[in-house]
Amino acid sequence: MSARDRTRAILDLPMSFEEKNGECFIFHHKTKCCIFSYDLYIKSARQTLELWQGIMKEIGGKFGSSVLSYFVFLKWLLMFNIFSFMVNFGFITIPLLVSDHSPNIPPNVSFRGLELLSGAGYFTYTVMYYGGYSNATVGQVYDMQLAYFFTIAVYMVLCGIALIFSMASSFRQNYVLADSVSNSAWQLLCSWDFSVTNERAVRQRRNNLRESLSEKAQEELLTLSEKLRHYGVHFGSWLLSTGLAVGCGASIYYLCQYEQKVHNQEAETLLVPFVVSLINLVIPLFYSLFNKFEHYSSQRQQIYALVVRSGNVFLRLVILAVLCYYWMNVVAEKFSCWESMVGQALYRLVIFDFLFLMLGSFFGEFLSNVIGTRLLTSLGVPEFDVARNVLDLIYTQTLAWIGIYFAPLLPAIQILKFFLLFYLKKVNACFQEFSTCCAIYQRSKFIPPRFVCLVLLCRLSPSEQCGPFQGLNNTFAVVEVWMTELEGPSHSHWTVWIYHNVIRSELFYFLVTLIIIVIIYIFWQVTKGRQELIRLLRQQIINEGKDKFFLLDKLQNLQKSHPNRNPKQKKQKEVCCDRVFFLC
Amino acid sequence: MGNKQTTFTDEQLEAFQDCTFFTRKEILRLHGRYRELAPHLVPLDYTNNPDIRVPLALIVTMPELKENPFRDRIVQTFSEDGQGNLSFNDFVDMFSALCETSPRDLKTIYAFKIYDFNRDNFICKDDLQQTLNLLTKGELTEDEVLLVCDKALEEADLDGDSKLSFSDFQNMISKAPDFLSNFHIRI
Repeated sequence: MSARDRTRAILDLPMSFEEKNGECFIFHHKTKCCIFSYDLYIKSARQTLELWQGIMKEIGGKFGSSVLSYFVFLKWLLMFNIFSFMVNFGFITIPLLVSDHSPNIPPNVSFRGLELLSGAGYFTYTVMYYGGYSNATVGQVYDMQLAYFFTIAVYMVLCGIALIFSMASSFRQNYVLADSVSNSAWQLLCSWDFSVTNERAVRQRRNNLRESLSEKAQEELLTLSEKLRHYGVHFGSWLLSTGLAVGCGASIYYLCQYEQKVHNQEAETLLVPFVVSLINLVIPLFYSLFNKFEHYSSQRQQIYALVVRSGNVFLRLVILAVLCYYWMNVVAEKFSCWESMVGQALYRLVIFDFLFLMLGSFFGEFLSNVIGTRLLTSLGVPEFDVARNVLDLIYTQTLAWIGIYFAPLLPAIQILKFFLLFYLKKVNACFQEFSTCCAIYQRSKFIPPRFVCLVLLCRLSPSEQCGPFQGLNNTFAVVEVWMTELEGPSHSHWTVWIYHNVIRSELFYFLVTLIIIVIIYIFWQVTKGRQELIRLLRQQIINEGKDKFFLLDKLQNLQKSHPNRNPKQKKQKEVCCDRVFFLC
Repeated sequence: MGNKQTTFTDEQLEAFQDCTFFTRKEILRLHGRYRELAPHLVPLDYTNNPDIRVPLALIVTMPELKENPFRDRIVQTFSEDGQGNLSFNDFVDMFSALCETSPRDLKTIYAFKIYDFNRDNFICKDDLQQTLNLLTKGELTEDEVLLVCDKALEEADLDGDSKLSFSDFQNMISKAPDFLSNFHIRI
């Protein structure tokens, strides 16, 4: 064993320091411990280079691991947006800027301040939106059409893969956790976070634990009529939250239509994003208020999970769905350069979302903190709800993902937004308590809507006069055109062969699906076999325990029935007893 | 190297670094914290290994332990006399076992010792009831306490002897992914 391994092994022993010191001393003066110090040096160097490393440690220490997970997620999103901005800027925008220095802006349009909010006007003709990109070939080598298509496609595929991996790893964790979250033993022995030192946080965690244990205990003791009442309350809350979300979605749709009819000035385009952000801010507050006043039910925690969490997710999904439907069916028909219009609408949504997040943090959290602590202490301090904040992050990122096809430089705004949000939330978190429900990410909920939106959008025909795909029937036609071009010269036949026989043939997809199904079936059977094995082993442990008791009883009876004549025999019997104890 | 401190000899610091999960700087910082608890009792110069123990009542006033419901049990587990009076070595041991880099097996062993109130190497129903009362500050009713403890025993007890042995406890911990991050005190 090398010196390092030996030291590690000693560190792992559950002995006191003095005992370990004895072990260490034997070889300590023979070896140098500079190996460890070199490792530490590299580690500290790497740590100083990473962004916000010190702040993250501070947050984790003060507020615990669930709040830290929010900030880790925020940092991950920021890195992701930096990467996507660099990719888009490098592959799409720079070639265009290099080839065509001056954007072709009509003479009567100039830069006014309103463009920062509305995204229309001067910005419409710049590289911010789809319409600003041409379908030319830069320098006779770089085909803008193909570049645009492949950059966005590859970026989306990478996003999808990253999300699927994170979903798989969190699913594995949550599968185990879900099994044990409802587990009393886990709650009793493993759930207390020892690193929390804030008195208010501790008190709140105690209350949460007490409530959830009490709820669970009471559930066991319910009569039939009470159970029915509980189901009724559940159903009523679900109905309320769903009805509210659908109502908001319908109102947004009618607002969009109204805006269409009176579309005169630029300032009026700000109405829809304003209302959307307002709804996203107010309705969750309304949900939590509803939860606070719901005193008569002893199931606060379960209804909280149902109404507040799922309600919020459903609300945002409904709003996004309504907006996408409106853009695809109405905007695409009406306008000549509809992609830019959709891009502008998304830009406005992102900007207003950012403004409302900042205002919400300031007024909602900071001011009510000040009021709660200094002026009206009876109001109490608002909670830093980790789940709701994570949901906000996912929502803004979904907007950016949908918008990347229409406004390739949208990640730049996201970068700025996340950077400012980090510091804002950090300042706020200092003043707040935090809810301690497990921070199970719901990233997976946003994957299907995003992909559905994109697929549907790609099937629509691009506009005739603007953008890189002008004149084509649909977006995928770019690849077809490229393939027909490649068929001409004698090289790169293999690319054409792959395109025709692999990507366009149904047989390939059929085979892949078949293989995936077979693999899933194999894993399923293995899992079932293992579950059966676990059951049998558990039964074996119980049987061994019974055997042990039986043998001990027999031994004791034997000892009692034969009084010992020979002290040596007595000692042998005692040793035998000890051995049996030791083996069990 | 800037070895201007006179609290420990070099050999002592090397020994600490080898046998705990702390670096030299952290050991010196820990000594400062230990001394803060009882400045009249703890000398600045530890080079001759004085036999000083800080009593339980002073140790649980530390901000890291003050709000922890298990503070008394934690300190008692790491004390040599079992009453909670910690020498500096015990103090360092305690924070080293509970620090971030401490391995899961070590933490499991100490967690089992902490929850075993009557020190019989089993977590029996009585131990669970005491744990629950500490966690909820006695705000649950008698029936609820009994029910929760019964359920907990039922779920975790594998060999059917109505108490949790160390292997039962270890099995339960292996299914809890956040045990490592929960069972951690930052100093």
